[in-house]
Amino acid sequence: MADRKGAYGDKANDTSFRKTWDRAEYAEKAANRDHKLKEEGRARYEAAISGKKYYKRASTPEDAKETEARKSRLDVASRVGTTMLVSAGSAIGKRGKGAGFYCEACDLTFKDNRQLVEHENSKQHLYAIGQTGEVRRATLEDVKERLAWLKRKRDEETGREVLDLGTRLEVQKEIDEREREEKRRKRNEKRRKTKDGMGIVKQEVENDGIIC
Amino acid sequence: MAHQADEKRMLDDRGYTGTLIRGANPLLLFEKPVRDRIVESMYWKEQCFGLNAATLCDRAVELENIGGIYGAAQKPSKFLCLAFKLLQLTPERDIVLHYLRQQEWKYLRALAAFYIRLCWQPKEIFETLEPFLADYRKLKRRAREGFALTYVDQFVDDLLTKDRVCATSLWKLPPRTQLEDLDVLEPRISPLGEELEDIDADRQDGRTEDDSGSDVEVLDDGHGLGNGHDHDNDTDVDGD
Repeated sequence: MADRKGAYGDKANDTSFRKTWDRAEYAEKAANRDHKLKEEGRARYEAAISGKKYYKRASTPEDAKETEARKSRLDVASRVGTTMLVSAGSAIGKRGKGAGFYCEACDLTFKDNRQLVEHENSKQHLYAIGQTGEVRRATLEDVKERLAWLKRKRDEETGREVLDLGTRLEVQKEIDEREREEKRRKRNEKRRKTKDGMGIVKQEVENDGIIC
Repeated sequence: MAHQADEKRMLDDRGYTGTLIRGANPLLLFEKPVRDRIVESMYWKEQCFGLNAATLCDRAVELENIGGIYGAAQKPSKFLCLAFKLLQLTPERDIVLHYLRQQEWKYLRALAAFYIRLCWQPKEIFETLEPFLADYRKLKRRAREGFALTYVDQFVDDLLTKDRVCATSLWKLPPRTQLEDLDVLEPRISPLGEELEDIDADRQDGRTEDDSGSDVEVLDDGHGLGNGHDHDNDTDVDGD
């Protein structure tokens, strides 16, 4: 086929743009499918013999993880007052990334943090993540270990609290210094962004608003 | 045997197969309105999803008050949500006892006491909870409007005597005297023991001496709260 002659007598061009098919892979796929059909047929036959009904079930994937509790809460407070730019056509109904709370695993947008949380608890989402929706039962050892760990965490935190007034004042001073530095840096950045690095100059007019 | 991450399967119409408490679904120990409020609350959806008996401790150590339903919208307290979660999980006896007996976190202890009162048999309830009538730590209770101060021993006593605690109607507990009569329990030996006997003895003696005011001091501050006298500081000559 490579040296077929075209209508005008020239050879056929490079055909590398055409899709090539991996025959071995597809042969394997076909063999698998046949095998599965046979298995299912056998299962149906056995069920019919023993008088039971055959149920076709989707099997749990082998690497499904067990559900665990949330480690952190959804941080909504930090987004208050912020603006997000989204393109208009990117979300149709819930599908697609639009304005609101977005779930990456399922490609859905919700208008509300409550709806997002409800969605994250739903079967649909758990399957998309690869979790089963079942939680492992805890034993007494687990509970004891957990309580010991929590106790240790709490002791560390109380240990870090210093009750001496002098050291507390120093620590507070350092924190204030750091915050001032941050503010200064931010202000400088803002100024740099405006024209000529002059910052936004406040126009002041005398007797503004007063009619003399 | 894993348990489900949320309560939907347990509250289904398909029926419940699992550990029975008082012969029924454990979640039905809470009344329908209370159950609905809990299940719709944000705390339940976000923080109580996917907990097991160990991770529940994380939430329990962050508890800051006990309580039932509060506010106009009947919001459930976190304590109530965690109690509901315990009912869903129905942990083993020794886990609950561990929660109760640990010393570090009083709210976890209160939670375990509440669970025990709801789920166990009367004999076990009395035997397990009575030692904690000696725990004098303070608890913050969230009432319908505002907060109230209570103590661990006060809370345990409420559980053993009252009908309704924390927005739940408690299952009727036969009084201790009845159980003693049935020889199921021994008569109660109070930890105060000898001190109680001494006080009783004093009181007996005090009465025979016909000086009933010996134990009681009457404070006369001149502003007697008599009947019907109101407290405005008026400067009338006649003393009404």
